[in-house]
Amino acid sequence: MIEISVDAAACNGCGLCVKDCPMQVYELRDEVSVPIRPENCMGCLSCHEICPAQALEHRGVYPSKRNYIDIRVCEMINRVI
Amino acid sequence: MMAEMTVEEMNQQFKTGTVFRAEEIPISCSPSAKDLEQTLHGVMKLNGLIIKSLEEIAGRGANAVTYRAGKKFGHEVAKYFRKIEDIEEALRELSYILHGQYTFELWKPEDKENYVVTENGETFIYLVFHDCIVRQTLRRNGMEQGGPLCQTLYGYVVGAIEEITGRRAKLEIVHTGPNACLKKLILK
Repeated sequence: MIEISVDAAACNGCGLCVKDCPMQVYELRDEVSVPIRPENCMGCLSCHEICPAQALEHRGVYPSKRNYIDIRVCEMINRVI
Repeated sequence: MMAEMTVEEMNQQFKTGTVFRAEEIPISCSPSAKDLEQTLHGVMKLNGLIIKSLEEIAGRGANAVTYRAGKKFGHEVAKYFRKIEDIEEALRELSYILHGQYTFELWKPEDKENYVVTENGETFIYLVFHDCIVRQTLRRNGMEQGGPLCQTLYGYVVGAIEEITGRRAKLEIVHTGPNACLKKLILK
């Protein structure tokens, strides 16, 4: 099962993840997003991408193939980071 | 380095003196991922631009064209599969065979007992598409998901399912994401 954690200090309660998730995994409680149904998460990482505060973390997600990346560019970035 | 070569030196690399006879043409190809990268990205770029141009010229008709193309592809690929009546088994086999182009899993929310759900007179199955060449092409070109190129996948699955099970089907895009997409396969 996918585990989702929300950094409550970083979350600004915008509710984008709540609106975007087709499986209603999140709910806003006291202006903080809470994953109430993580078992329904299919790992699309849409919420992860749109979260302006980058407050979400997913564990146990199958990473889909990313053949669109430039291997050389990624190697260069890895050397810098 | 290519930039330091003269034109003559560059041309020289294509002159190997190798003689090919028809029976000696190699039947296998196994270049490394790095050698394939530029070719793959070139194909992605070309595909993306064809779809963009098609959308500009044909407007909403673009979806019909790409759907048709995908459906033909689906029929073409699936005609060699064994015919299966059980839809769940057919989908599992399809995912296995398409591994490398598309991989998908049958999916159900926790509160549902079966993959095949009947609601409001409609029978459907949720499919989560993980690896998808369409998504990768769109992301390579900075294009929006859910457009005409996604219709090829829609047609592809419908064509393959029709070919394998003999049942008519419809695929609905429920949600698109950077790592996976949720589709609803409606059975008729």
